[in-house]
Amino acid sequence: MHETRLLPQPHDLLWGMSTDRLDAAAPTWAAEVLAAGRPVVVRRAPARDGWIAVGVRGHGREQRHAAWMPRAAIRRRVQPEQLTGGGEREGVCAPLRALALLQPQLDALCRQRGLAWGVTGGAGYQLATGVTVLGEHSDLDLLLRVPRPLERRQALALLERLEQLPCRVDLQLETPAGAVALRDWASPAARVLLKAGSGARLVGDPWREVAA
Amino acid sequence: METLSFEFPAGQPARQRAQVGCVGSGDLEVLLEPGPAGRLNIQVVTSVNGSAERWRHLFERMFAGAEPPALNVDIHDFGATPGVVRLRLEQALEEVSNV
Repeated sequence: MHETRLLPQPHDLLWGMSTDRLDAAAPTWAAEVLAAGRPVVVRRAPARDGWIAVGVRGHGREQRHAAWMPRAAIRRRVQPEQLTGGGEREGVCAPLRALALLQPQLDALCRQRGLAWGVTGGAGYQLATGVTVLGEHSDLDLLLRVPRPLERRQALALLERLEQLPCRVDLQLETPAGAVALRDWASPAARVLLKAGSGARLVGDPWREVAA
Repeated sequence: METLSFEFPAGQPARQRAQVGCVGSGDLEVLLEPGPAGRLNIQVVTSVNGSAERWRHLFERMFAGAEPPALNVDIHDFGATPGVVRLRLEQALEEVSNV
């Protein structure tokens, strides 16, 4: 059996990519980020065998650069699940205060239902690297791995809990076929946006889709 | 943050309003309301600066085939790819034409 758990998953942070793997058109800040020993983020995109689609993250929303990393170059990997304890109850940063408030609730939910959750986006990057990328107005990005169907009313109940936090929380449901925003699945929309490795599409039920 | 405005020729006003998509990175929220006959007004608030030409091309390609209904469209974009923008706009246009 193929050990899919060992394969890098979207949102994983990977260390070990060297600057010579960047294409000639890559911006200088991307090379600086790699030279400083910072990780890249696994993207949800197709890649050739032995390669991983990754993104280099700089300052702000504009500094993102798509690249490909050889699997053999991975020296260290941190998954979103490893970062859930990074909240700061008395912290100055709203996303980390929100994380501290949410952690016991999401841990309990995951224990009950046999699920896993993790921290992605700027919060995940900051917790894994120590580099400050979050501001007071940043969102908290999370993922919840949901291999079996989640009823829409349960999605709505979870969304309502997230809306009581000190910052906006963007939670992605990771289904076997790709990711769907909790906010989308909790809405009455007939079709929702499924972000799959092969691209995005609108679907009626993400759990009835085949992984691509 | 950047606010962009676009105007395109359109047909008769749409019959109903619609709201699709959601607020969250890589996605967008689209609100459509019936507008004055003959005009399609679009306002885009986007987190990606310097993208006006990309939006114009995307709209031009979408409306090139068939005349869209008259609408006021409000888009809140959170860094969606052109593919996602197109899917959400098509979803929204379907909803305003389903009675």
